[in-house]
Amino acid sequence: MSSVLYRKVVKNFGALNVLRSLDLAVPDHKFLALLGPSGCGKTTALRILAGLDMPTSGKVFIGERDVTRLQPRDRDIAMVFQSYALYPQMTVAENIGYPLWIRGTPDTARKAKIGEVAAILEIGHLLDRRPRQLSGGQRQRVALARAIVRDPAAFLMDEPLSNLDARLRLTMRGEIKRLCQRLSATTIYVTHDQVEALTMADLVGVMHGGDLQQMAPPIDIYDRPANRFVATFVGNPPMNILPVTLAEQGVMAGGRIVPLARARLTACRLAEIVEIGLRPEDCSIAQPGAPGALPGEIYVVEPMGNETLVNVRLDGGNVSVRAGRDFRGSVGENISVAFDAANACLFNSAGLTAVQRVNSNGREK
Amino acid sequence: MKSATQAPQYRLQGAGLDLALPYLMLAPGLTIVLGVLVYPLWDGLRASTRAYRYGSPVADVGIQNYVRLWSDAQFLNALWVTVKFVALSVSVEAVLGFALALFCLREFRGIRLLRTVLIIPMVITPVVVAIVFRLIYASDAGMLTALSEAMGGGAVQILGNSLNAFIGLVVLDVWEWTPLMFLILLAGLQSLPHEPFEAARVDGAGAWRVFADLTFPMMRPVLAVAIVLRTIDAFGTFDQVFVLTRGGPGEATRLISIYGYDTAFKFQQTGYAAALFVTVGLVVLGLAFSAIRLLRRIDAS
Repeated sequence: MSSVLYRKVVKNFGALNVLRSLDLAVPDHKFLALLGPSGCGKTTALRILAGLDMPTSGKVFIGERDVTRLQPRDRDIAMVFQSYALYPQMTVAENIGYPLWIRGTPDTARKAKIGEVAAILEIGHLLDRRPRQLSGGQRQRVALARAIVRDPAAFLMDEPLSNLDARLRLTMRGEIKRLCQRLSATTIYVTHDQVEALTMADLVGVMHGGDLQQMAPPIDIYDRPANRFVATFVGNPPMNILPVTLAEQGVMAGGRIVPLARARLTACRLAEIVEIGLRPEDCSIAQPGAPGALPGEIYVVEPMGNETLVNVRLDGGNVSVRAGRDFRGSVGENISVAFDAANACLFNSAGLTAVQRVNSNGREK
Repeated sequence: MKSATQAPQYRLQGAGLDLALPYLMLAPGLTIVLGVLVYPLWDGLRASTRAYRYGSPVADVGIQNYVRLWSDAQFLNALWVTVKFVALSVSVEAVLGFALALFCLREFRGIRLLRTVLIIPMVITPVVVAIVFRLIYASDAGMLTALSEAMGGGAVQILGNSLNAFIGLVVLDVWEWTPLMFLILLAGLQSLPHEPFEAARVDGAGAWRVFADLTFPMMRPVLAVAIVLRTIDAFGTFDQVFVLTRGGPGEATRLISIYGYDTAFKFQQTGYAAALFVTVGLVVLGLAFSAIRLLRRIDAS
């Protein structure tokens, strides 16, 4: 196992700027999830690490080794593809054993290793089948087995769960996490699914427009987003954003003054604050006219079973509120939205988080 | 109410027409198929059981024409020449076509132009190709002789020498039909999924192993179809030989089609020629069937 390092990696496809200048370091044994919407450059970053694409400029290191110009096979990596990329005319055993066979591992050692990883992934009974005789989940397991059959410097996974149905995705998510912890392997996992990124990874790198927006442990990505993009991309429903203006004792949002602590207010004054961000679970529904709460009317009510999502129209925009499962209210009803301003993020005109929240889900930061 | 007034317009002629309508609409197509496909086939079969004189049937001879074929040394020779010709041409075309297709799969400057240029031979009329090759091969004023003389050699004998004429014919066929192989195989290669190849590169395979372990096995069905198609087609090669050598020198390039043509039109043995072509047709059909069955077995295992 080894660390992975991108240094000023740029990738252009013709005039298209896919990676602008990526600097990224994954420590040894860590699981990094690269998260971002389609076209953000996350898959390109992974393919450059694999050697399937060449960077326009910049360097890539695996461990101490500069691998920028090396062929994929000389990089000592294993990769799991979105479409599994199994070899269609080989049996499952041949598929799993291929990385060993190509390196000239003796038959007995190879067979033993195939049996071992097949047992880990519970596909021992499928070894004589061919890929097209397998279900999606089984193919996924074979692809994983083929990746872990060697002991590579790093595992690369390109949206490995996105071709599975929702239920299977849930199971495999846990299994891959367990597997990676068991192997204690340096892993780069590309996904557009924030739940996968947050639940599986030690570190999440959020990408957008060819830039790394933020890299941090999952809980920090959620609680302390570096900018407006990360704040609204991570979280479901996303963070509520309302325009604000500075006022005497705080900021003006939704037609009311939101009071802020002195230190935060000073920071706001220095930073040209334009927006306030609030997580739906940090808001609550209050009686109309409740002091400090923002007045509005109910726009949509969505019962989820374990909770109720209430969308409220305020002066300045709509906000989502996580209410209790027994919330009762009807569309058009006048209510107000209450929150603790200490939980708010404040964004400046450049979209950066100028003032972070004070509380971190109960933990003082 | 609207539908009630409109519906009868479609059934003005009553229920009888309703029943006949599908058949009426099928009739033109069916007539053409029967006229140009089924009838000639049946007529050919019938002709193969008759003896002809001056183009008219004079007697029913049953299967005698078929029996006679197998003791006809000229027929057996023509069959042998054809098999040699087909086997040699098609295998050279398959190898060359595959190599070219692999080469043209890569993207580089001018690749589109190259792909277009490569398929030109296929679209030229076979007779024209043969005339051009006769000009190249001609021993007195041909291009090869001119080249040889420019380098201080003598006249090159292609069409006058049995072996050279046969090879010359194969070269012509390869030149003209490699593009078809190339086209089918390129389409096949382009339709293969990308990811297994990338996976193999990551897993440690070099270019040769990728070809041997992935490309070739995945292309086997396409290759088989291309070879079967070309084989069937090559069995019927006629125009090029007719223009280039008329089957000569001696019987060196007398393919089954040329022998059949001679039998029918030179020797006026229409019934015998029909039996010959029916036999060849059955041989080709049998070859195609067994090739496809073999393919299915490979695929299923």
